[in-house]
Amino acid sequence: MSDRALTPPGQRIGWATWTTFIIAALFLVSLWAIEFSPEIMLKVPFAVAEDLKSYYPPDMAYGWNAVLPAIVESIQIAWIGTIIAAILSLPLALFGARTLFPRVARGVKFVSATARAFPEILLAIYFVPIVGLGPFAGALAIGISSVGMLTKLGAEVVESIDFGPVEAVEASGGSRILALRYAVLPQVLPEIVAHWLFRFELNIRASAVLGVVGAGGVGGVLLNTLSYRHLEKAAAVLLLTIIVVLAIDMISGSIRRRIINS
Amino acid sequence: MTTRARVTLPPKPARNWPLWLGVLGFLTLMTLWSAHGIGFSLFDLICNLARGSRLLEESWPPDFGFIPRLFQPFMETIFIAIIGTVVGGILAIPIAILAARNLTLGPLIWFADRNFMNILRTLPDLFWAMLFASAVGFGPVAGALALSMFTIAVISKLWSESLEAIDMGLPEAIRAVGGTWREMIQFGAMPQGLPHYVSYALYAFELNVRASMVLGLVGAGGIGMILKTQQANFEYERVTMIILAVLIAVLIIEEISEAIRRRLA
Repeated sequence: MSDRALTPPGQRIGWATWTTFIIAALFLVSLWAIEFSPEIMLKVPFAVAEDLKSYYPPDMAYGWNAVLPAIVESIQIAWIGTIIAAILSLPLALFGARTLFPRVARGVKFVSATARAFPEILLAIYFVPIVGLGPFAGALAIGISSVGMLTKLGAEVVESIDFGPVEAVEASGGSRILALRYAVLPQVLPEIVAHWLFRFELNIRASAVLGVVGAGGVGGVLLNTLSYRHLEKAAAVLLLTIIVVLAIDMISGSIRRRIINS
Repeated sequence: MTTRARVTLPPKPARNWPLWLGVLGFLTLMTLWSAHGIGFSLFDLICNLARGSRLLEESWPPDFGFIPRLFQPFMETIFIAIIGTVVGGILAIPIAILAARNLTLGPLIWFADRNFMNILRTLPDLFWAMLFASAVGFGPVAGALALSMFTIAVISKLWSESLEAIDMGLPEAIRAVGGTWREMIQFGAMPQGLPHYVSYALYAFELNVRASMVLGLVGAGGIGMILKTQQANFEYERVTMIILAVLIAVLIIEEISEAIRRRLA
């Protein structure tokens, strides 16, 4: 009697056990399917350690001359991509808010879900033949793929606003447009700008990959140095990329916190 | 009725003009500099739209006859993503717990783990793929290992942040009655943190299915490899088919994980 009172009912345990079991089974099937073997696994740590040795010392001369310009290009790609996405997503976010425009919102949400499903790299594959190899294609790809996420997050922010000011503007004879300008925008802009900054951080990382398909930035340099096994040069690429990305994260993060808190 | 009440508007809040001009100036300069740096031009874009429409014509309709040959690499992508999520998901658990300020074992461990996590997150998946490819050869095994590292970075970052936001009453109570650190984690923190964990693991799985496309481009198995050959041969109808397949898979996974997340909430 007292024993039973001490143990909480365990209805969820059955469900959790089944899930674990299914995941474990899927995992084993996958291991078998890609012909994974324990011998390989035993080999990996040594092989990786051996490989990592040849990354040292980083070739910093190469770093300053060739990598830094590429990183700058990556930052520029991310910036233009974010600007494109910000400009396109702001009106979309307003129209995508169920509470403001119930009819249009559904369509806008569908469009943003589709845009989100395309990874940057796929869009870059299409933009490269259109505008040619280079950073411009990367910026367009990043811009278009960011629109989806920014629209979704922005619409959620707009849906969560206090409706008092909107009603006040409309009650005193203001139009829908005026309500957007004086009641909605002032409430949502800080949070939306914070999302833009966050997306900029993500885009910096994304733009470091786009080089793989020839869309500019540091990704191409990294791929070249890695595939020709110029590992000391690759180490310089990685080192500089990490430092720059972390620095931008820190700056942008502190600006975001300031915007949200003020 | 005729006398109108005097309405006085409240004074407009003063604007911090130097700050505003500074921010606007910075944004404009940064945009102009970047636009110039990457060779942004609307003129080029508009002129090349014709080329774009030709490309779109070439990529439509998708080559449905290509589906049978797509099946095997597609399954490989899913397998790689499953392995990456499971391995990375398990390894992320201790890393995330030690990186949460309220649960960690000591400031030194917290600091080391947090920096480790940040660096892990910043290393591109491309690097992992190449690193493991040189250890085990190009192929799905390298891809699965690379995705494991990528998954550790994603889950530990997100989860450590939500662990920092849990209600500390329960863990503190367990400590106060003499529970060990492990008991505090297991009975105090996990019940609150587990739903978030599951949700992030599902999110990581989605990301992994997408990322396996990038990995394939550098030869680490999965659907990206076939994508690369078709793109190099300008078989854009097949490229469209591959992209369509990935899109449908991602959307299905998103639906399923959304349903699971709703049940957890």
